[in-house]
Amino acid sequence: MIQPQTLLNVADNSGARELMCIRILGASNRRYAHIGDVIVAVIKEAVPNMPLERSEVIRAVIVRTCKELKRENGMRIRYDDNAAVVIDQEGNPKGTRVLVQSPGIERIEFHKNRLISSRSIIVVDEIMIE
Amino acid sequence: MRIEKCWFCSSSIYPGHGIQFVRNDAKIFRFCRSKCHKNFKMKRNPRKVKWTKAYRRVHGKDMTQDSTFELERKRNRPERYDRNVAENTLKAIKKIDKVRVAREARHHAQRMKGNKVSEMKAAVKELEQSIHMVKAPIALKEDPSLTLPKLKVKVSSQHKQRIKWKNETLSLSLSLTLSLSPQPPTSSFLEHQRRVDTGPA
Repeated sequence: MIQPQTLLNVADNSGARELMCIRILGASNRRYAHIGDVIVAVIKEAVPNMPLERSEVIRAVIVRTCKELKRENGMRIRYDDNAAVVIDQEGNPKGTRVLVQSPGIERIEFHKNRLISSRSIIVVDEIMIE
Repeated sequence: MRIEKCWFCSSSIYPGHGIQFVRNDAKIFRFCRSKCHKNFKMKRNPRKVKWTKAYRRVHGKDMTQDSTFELERKRNRPERYDRNVAENTLKAIKKIDKVRVAREARHHAQRMKGNKVSEMKAAVKELEQSIHMVKAPIALKEDPSLTLPKLKVKVSSQHKQRIKWKNETLSLSLSLTLSLSPQPPTSSFLEHQRRVDTGPA
């Protein structure tokens, strides 16, 4: 349940450390974003000497939320914090590695041109677990 | 599909139940219901929470080592489906359950052995020491048996009834006042009680 003003950790090595959600994409007046949704965020904290800088407005896809993710098979999964992965306008990740704690449930698919829909976003297994 | 064990209470989690919590170090905690989840969030240690299986095992209330547990161990190798194997497994599960339940019952009986004897002893001791809480010593002196005193006086039945009632209530009120009031009741108070109990004579 991410909404504007929510601070999110960054789960990749794009250079940002902390993001603040500004807007949830998908519909006007959309209240909350969940795992797999794209948000517009501003970088609140960044790693020095990287392409991304503080107070840059970028897009991100949410990969972890404290609010549980509900699956149709009845499974509910909750994470320890809120985190997102920085992407560009087309939907490609800005970083090279995605750091996700994955218990083998989800996969992120970054499609070449654009994000097809939030439902098709799932988080990858084999990408680096730290 | 796999039936998991709740991290907190060790009960089985069937599909569609409970919540899984993924910690940032990638450890997964599965909970069977919100009760366990909330206890976990409160940072309670299941080994100290009385109703969990972990507590019962640690404190010797339930069996810890048994060969029937080995058969239920988690296996990560997927098995190719074989109808005969599945059938035999189902039969085996039933049998193993029966054996395990019998062993648990035996363990419980072993744990409770010697309870009856010690309970009896405690009851006898309590009777000896604390009978004054139940019956006033004065009443006991009249009739040392533990039943209510029965006066044997040759009177009319109505008068007999009244005397009996008077004596019972007197002893009862006496014991009550002795137990309730810190100071021994004065004779006038007792007289008042007697009059109150017997009613209009």
